[in-house]
Amino acid sequence: MPSLPPDPPLALECRGVHHAFGPKRVLGDINLKVARGQFLSLVGPSGCGKSTLLRAIVGTHPPRRGQILLFRQGEPAGGCPVDGPGRDRGIVYQHYSLFPFLTAEQNVAVGLMLDRTTIPYRCFQWGKWRRLRREHCRQAAEVLVRLKLEDARRLYPQEMSGGMRQRVALAQALIMKPEIILLDEPFGALDEATREDLQNMLLELYDENVRARQQGRDPAHTLIIVTHELNEAIYVGDRVVGLSQYWDWRRAGFDQFPGSTIVYDKASPVFKPDSARRFEAFARQREEIRRAVFDPNVLQERDLHVTYWNNPPSPPAHLPPSPAP
Amino acid sequence: MIRLPISRAASIGLGVASVLLLLLAYTWLSQRQHRLNPSDTTIPTWRQLGHGVVQAFEVNDRSQDRWVVADARATGLRLFAGLGFGVLGAVILGMAMGCFTPVEAFAYPLLSLLAKVPPTAALAVFFVLVGTDMNMYVAMIAFGILPTLAMTVFLAVKEFPEELQYKAYTLGASNMEVILSIMFRYALPRLLDSVRLMIGPAMVFLIAAEMLVGDVGFGYRIRLQSKLVNMSVVYPYLAMLAGFGYAMDFALKALQRWLCPWSFTKT
Repeated sequence: MPSLPPDPPLALECRGVHHAFGPKRVLGDINLKVARGQFLSLVGPSGCGKSTLLRAIVGTHPPRRGQILLFRQGEPAGGCPVDGPGRDRGIVYQHYSLFPFLTAEQNVAVGLMLDRTTIPYRCFQWGKWRRLRREHCRQAAEVLVRLKLEDARRLYPQEMSGGMRQRVALAQALIMKPEIILLDEPFGALDEATREDLQNMLLELYDENVRARQQGRDPAHTLIIVTHELNEAIYVGDRVVGLSQYWDWRRAGFDQFPGSTIVYDKASPVFKPDSARRFEAFARQREEIRRAVFDPNVLQERDLHVTYWNNPPSPPAHLPPSPAP
Repeated sequence: MIRLPISRAASIGLGVASVLLLLLAYTWLSQRQHRLNPSDTTIPTWRQLGHGVVQAFEVNDRSQDRWVVADARATGLRLFAGLGFGVLGAVILGMAMGCFTPVEAFAYPLLSLLAKVPPTAALAVFFVLVGTDMNMYVAMIAFGILPTLAMTVFLAVKEFPEELQYKAYTLGASNMEVILSIMFRYALPRLLDSVRLMIGPAMVFLIAAEMLVGDVGFGYRIRLQSKLVNMSVVYPYLAMLAGFGYAMDFALKALQRWLCPWSFTKT
């Protein structure tokens, strides 16, 4: 286990987030801090509002109440409230993850174009734009090579397999170097072998983080992955957060059901890329999550399985701590 | 048997056979007619048709110009100007309707009403509003094709997945970039498909209007020569119209292949 600096800076914080669709309360009192370099798996039963929370973080569907703060690198502490979707949060959806009218390389390069140039620039300074575009495509090709996609460069999304598409979608997000990348059930539609391949790719990104920390640099990738697959959640993430509508809200002092909240928050073992997948190794944690998060008959106190991580800047020990309890 | 594929050679052969059959049937018909009445002009022989073509292409004594050149210039200008304004208006209206709900709510009922008015029937309105000749034809064609084209663009933008819209924002796109660089490109192949299909109606509107009030143009010439039962001029004109429509179709398809190669990829 790599040792961490005493106070890893935050990437994202949700403060008292509530959300409702009409009278139906979906999210109740969500408080969550994500440290820079963390790979957080968000799990929960269907209908618990995982995607709603993710959309709130992306900024497309702001919550009814509460705040989502984003901490940008090199900016003073305190964080910026999320206000609509922006280039500092990357997103990979399960479907419709790529622009159908662009090849893989163009799909990856398009972010650089949209972010760094404007329409008037592209129209009226055409010569300059063409040179810059070549540079963008070169950078895109580099990222594609890194994700083992060099053969897909000239393919359109319709010509790619599902796994390739999700890889390109991740490349598309990575090239922007966002503060945090959000994955909404990214591998849900893939077959088992492809899925394992892509999980491995995420572990390689995590490994880059680990190496960066060892060399005293800031980890580059922070990630939230929404999944309904518990094995995937434990295997890919270094921290599992469970969102559930099954919790004892009366004991927490609410008169009526406030919505799903976080009932599980623990570290999960970190795996090296290409290591053997010994799922039995974390069978205990899986069972624990299944009981605490997924079982409608188990209504427990909300913080029974929640770890209260030390808040920065108070030292010391931090994530990810010892392997699963 | 049903949906059984055939070889490419067989497919081309059958296509050629159908055209040959038409020509043979025509030859037989005109020959039979001329045995009954040697001076017949309703189903002219190939020799008569040849004379008709020469008549259409040579300098005319009375008007001092070549019919085909004058007619093609007039009809072509009207058609292309009408198509151009129609497509431009449809893109602006369709994109605005697809992107902004108030515009949709405002324009949709009106558009679906106006789409039901046959433009040729409303010719007098255009005459009153924009004057005679060129302006009138252009306005008529533009308004004739606009509702369908605008609807196509509108529906294409409407079905643009919102995930891709959000994605564009997370990649740093501005609203204008989402509309012009993302949504418009998404709708473009559908627009071109629709333009291809609307060439036919646009020609129908124009020829009919020229027949009613024109003094030059394909519709005018066909009406005049039909009255004189000069079918040896009418048939070549019809063939030219068919050839023109076919060429336009081909050109638009090529344009689509060039602008949107992605819409031809197989899933």
